[in-house]
Amino acid sequence: MGRYLATRLSHVVITLFAMMTLTFFLFRLLPGDPTAMVISPALDPAAQEAMRVRFGLDRPLVEQYFVYLANLARFDFGYSFRTSGPVWDLIQGRLVNTLLLILPSMTAAYAIGAFLGAYIGWHRGSRTEAGVILVATILQSAPLFWLSMLAILFFSIKLDLFPTGHIVSPGSFPEQTWRMYLTWDFLHHLALPFMVNTLYQLCFPLLLMRSTMLSTVGEDFIELARMKGLTERQVLFRHAMPTSLLPLATTLPMILGWAVAGSVVIETIFSWPGLGLLMVEAVTQADYPLVQGAFLLIAVLTVTGTFVADMLYGMLDPRIVYR
Amino acid sequence: MHQRSNINAEPVLHIKGLDLSYATAHGRAAALTNISLSLAPGESLGLVGESGCGKSTLLKAIMGVMPSNAAIEGGQVIFKGADLVAGSKEAWRKARWAGISMIAQSALNALNPVRRISAQIAEAILTHKSMPKSELRARICHLFEIVGVDPERIDDYPHQFSGGMRQRVLIAMALALEPSVVLADEPTTALDVIVQDQIFNRLRALRDELDFAILLVTHDLAVVIENCDRIVVMYGGMIVETGPTREVVRAPSHPYTLGLRNALPRLGVDYEPIAIPGRPPDLVDPAPGCRFAARCPFALPVCRVVTPDLLPSTPDRAARCHRAGEMETLASLAGKVETWNRVGDLANAP
Repeated sequence: MGRYLATRLSHVVITLFAMMTLTFFLFRLLPGDPTAMVISPALDPAAQEAMRVRFGLDRPLVEQYFVYLANLARFDFGYSFRTSGPVWDLIQGRLVNTLLLILPSMTAAYAIGAFLGAYIGWHRGSRTEAGVILVATILQSAPLFWLSMLAILFFSIKLDLFPTGHIVSPGSFPEQTWRMYLTWDFLHHLALPFMVNTLYQLCFPLLLMRSTMLSTVGEDFIELARMKGLTERQVLFRHAMPTSLLPLATTLPMILGWAVAGSVVIETIFSWPGLGLLMVEAVTQADYPLVQGAFLLIAVLTVTGTFVADMLYGMLDPRIVYR
Repeated sequence: MHQRSNINAEPVLHIKGLDLSYATAHGRAAALTNISLSLAPGESLGLVGESGCGKSTLLKAIMGVMPSNAAIEGGQVIFKGADLVAGSKEAWRKARWAGISMIAQSALNALNPVRRISAQIAEAILTHKSMPKSELRARICHLFEIVGVDPERIDDYPHQFSGGMRQRVLIAMALALEPSVVLADEPTTALDVIVQDQIFNRLRALRDELDFAILLVTHDLAVVIENCDRIVVMYGGMIVETGPTREVVRAPSHPYTLGLRNALPRLGVDYEPIAIPGRPPDLVDPAPGCRFAARCPFALPVCRVVTPDLLPSTPDRAARCHRAGEMETLASLAGKVETWNRVGDLANAP
């Protein structure tokens, strides 16, 4: 276990390092001169040059890269080209907003997906099963942005039940503070993107759980559990469901990636001031330090999630031995 | 083996005229037809027949745990005087394991791979009665001891045991509530002969000690000879012969039993086992007459028209054959390969 943990952690470090390197060089390969965005071409050429020197953009790319790495080692993500403020300050608040939307939503999606999938797999051939599968397949194949817009159109514009976007009513909290998360207004704004994302993300665990259940139901140990005199409910919740959870756990890392991708779409459409929206803004404005910071943070989240899922798998299935 | 004295006592399990069918794509398959048998307290009854003859189906029907496409169409399963088929589902559920338990066939698949053995035995006990935790653990340890597995290992997972040990664990689980009937579905098929022998010795000793009745299902006649007081031979979902094991094996009253006996290996003799040619009968649309007629070297025209009844010859023996009376003469022919080859030629003829 100890050795496995060490190997696995070294993989985490290597992945993150590769990620840092990639984000650094990839965005510099993009067309467009970022300096044009930050440094006004109207300025005196000497002043422009002075600015370049200040941001370190006059030095060779490789040198810039090592400076970037050295700063990262000190948890210094640099300064945004656009606001000139520290990247970490910009990201921090956005990260909280994203997590408050994505974590509950993904947890709900997984919990509902697992239970509903187990239920319909257990009641194979029922009308409920057919209906749920139909709806889940439609939801899963629909693009997330389209679902979001439909939801806004119907629930916000037509029924006027929820606001069309933003995290709180504009103007109510000029500065982001923790107090705004404790308001009804926040929950009111959270409701629609939460529901859309949950509904969209629960289809995959639901369908996977159902198909795993179908094969579990035919297992000998399920029959033996019945023979022991367990009630149907006990057979389902003690034997069929826990055993069927294993494939779901293996797909967790993949889902984390989807959650991130989903957050970009959801946040853009609902104007949710999270990391996803920040990334879209940063990319379109060629704000390198900000993009690097945001990407790195998402990489850290995903890689950590994968690591946790790996450990979780060993807990769910005792046959897995870490070497 | 030791003949039990209480065979004529009130049966603990009595099956009367049980009919069961499976819904298949081609129609309903009559998996069990008019099955009647009884099990006296402490008795061991062997149930033999080829794959698909309905042995395992019968055990599942007795437990009341059948696949969703199976339906009991008639008959009774009387356990300690009460008919489980006619009673409520809940009553049947309560009788399972507490009264009638089962030693499953495949020890690897019958145990849940992700739960500890102790938890799997504990839940069987707790479903039927409440027990303090310390007593429960002591009970599970005791069960491990009586089947010969180290009680230290009750918290292990199934994959941490060898095949033979897993089978012992299943026996321990079956005895958890001191049932009066234990059904054993080919409990040793996956094991080598030495472990197989150990398991049966253990099972016999436990039966003598705890006095439960065993219904042992197997396709191995030798296992029945060694372990069972009485034998029931099944073919195509019907009982074709029944009686005390020794008598039935010494002088079968049905050609199918003769055929099974030919498959027994004999030590020290240059001997080639003889196979019964042909295939098991079609149970969806069974041919008229005796179900074994198509594979029987002694079939008469009447056999293909009239289904014979299971008729007693002595108080404890019965056979379902029109020629049961001539079996002594036929038995000498049944020992020859040519006799069975003749059927094979007929069966393979276009």
